[in-house]
Amino acid sequence: MNAILRTRLALLPLLAAAVLIAGCAKPTTRYGDARATETVTNTFGSTDLQLIAESMTRSMLQTSVIVSSGLPIVTVQDVRNKTSEYIDTRSITDTIRVELQKSGKVRFAVDANAMNQQAEEIKRQQGELYAKEQAAQKGRMVGAQYRMEGTITSIVKEVKNIKDVYYKFNLQLWNIQNGLLEWTDEKEIRKTTTKG
Amino acid sequence: MNLKWTIAALLAGALVSGCATKKGFEKPGFAFGCPIGEAKVSSMDDLVKLKTVSEGKRTTILATEMRCSNSGDLIKIDANLNNDSSTVKRIAYKFRWIDREGMRAWEEEVWKPLLLYENSNLSVNSIAPTNKAVDFRLILRSQE
Repeated sequence: MNAILRTRLALLPLLAAAVLIAGCAKPTTRYGDARATETVTNTFGSTDLQLIAESMTRSMLQTSVIVSSGLPIVTVQDVRNKTSEYIDTRSITDTIRVELQKSGKVRFAVDANAMNQQAEEIKRQQGELYAKEQAAQKGRMVGAQYRMEGTITSIVKEVKNIKDVYYKFNLQLWNIQNGLLEWTDEKEIRKTTTKG
Repeated sequence: MNLKWTIAALLAGALVSGCATKKGFEKPGFAFGCPIGEAKVSSMDDLVKLKTVSEGKRTTILATEMRCSNSGDLIKIDANLNNDSSTVKRIAYKFRWIDREGMRAWEEEVWKPLLLYENSNLSVNSIAPTNKAVDFRLILRSQE
């Protein structure tokens, strides 16, 4: 009996040391590849955003509106989020806009969200503090020929051990003058998480 | 008699000119529409070897065919991937775009995950993001 107790007592400092080490273990932070496939959870993630933006941009670059007309002017409107989760759709359209602008094939006109800032700046330059000949004039802004809008929807199915998420992103390019749909495309993504 | 000889000569001419260039190699510096520069490419296998790179964990998935065309001034690529194993394979792929000087013409693309069913082929395609891209590489890695 005494021998067992002695052994247990001898193990106590070891246990205490293990608890102490585990408790004090420093979390490690490392930089990762921002373009790697991210599968931490199956909610909307960085890979989904990048896949959608790349797919939509490359598809749009092939449309006749962009191939044949010299630098069409586009304005970005909202992408409606019809999924059950929070998705910053502005971030998707921002990435699409960056890629299209960098391609040198499209120009962007100020969108509705940035209109207040644009108008405020023109108004400010019209003030007496600015040289009249260099100040931005009212009535000189260029209107967009096309507007870009879209939707993102999802279907989520979940049973005991499996969660399946299907995303569908739809983007459209409308001719503002005549109301014609000039281009549209979709990107589908399926992610399945299996527990255990 | 003269007409007969003329027709025979025309047919022979057509045959010779038809055999002069192998199909897919009509344009110098290009194979199956894809830019090859100075590289020695005499078959589809050579082209695929030249354009495909493995990065990270190696995959048994092979590119078997590659064809290029142009959409405006942008290169368009169609590549066929083959899974000849009897199991489903998961890979990731991306294209790397190269400019006239051999430098990167665009930032690294996102790795695109792909599922290939057993004994199946899948076609992946892309278009250059900019007309500065005059060459490309298809990068493959295993996601198993």
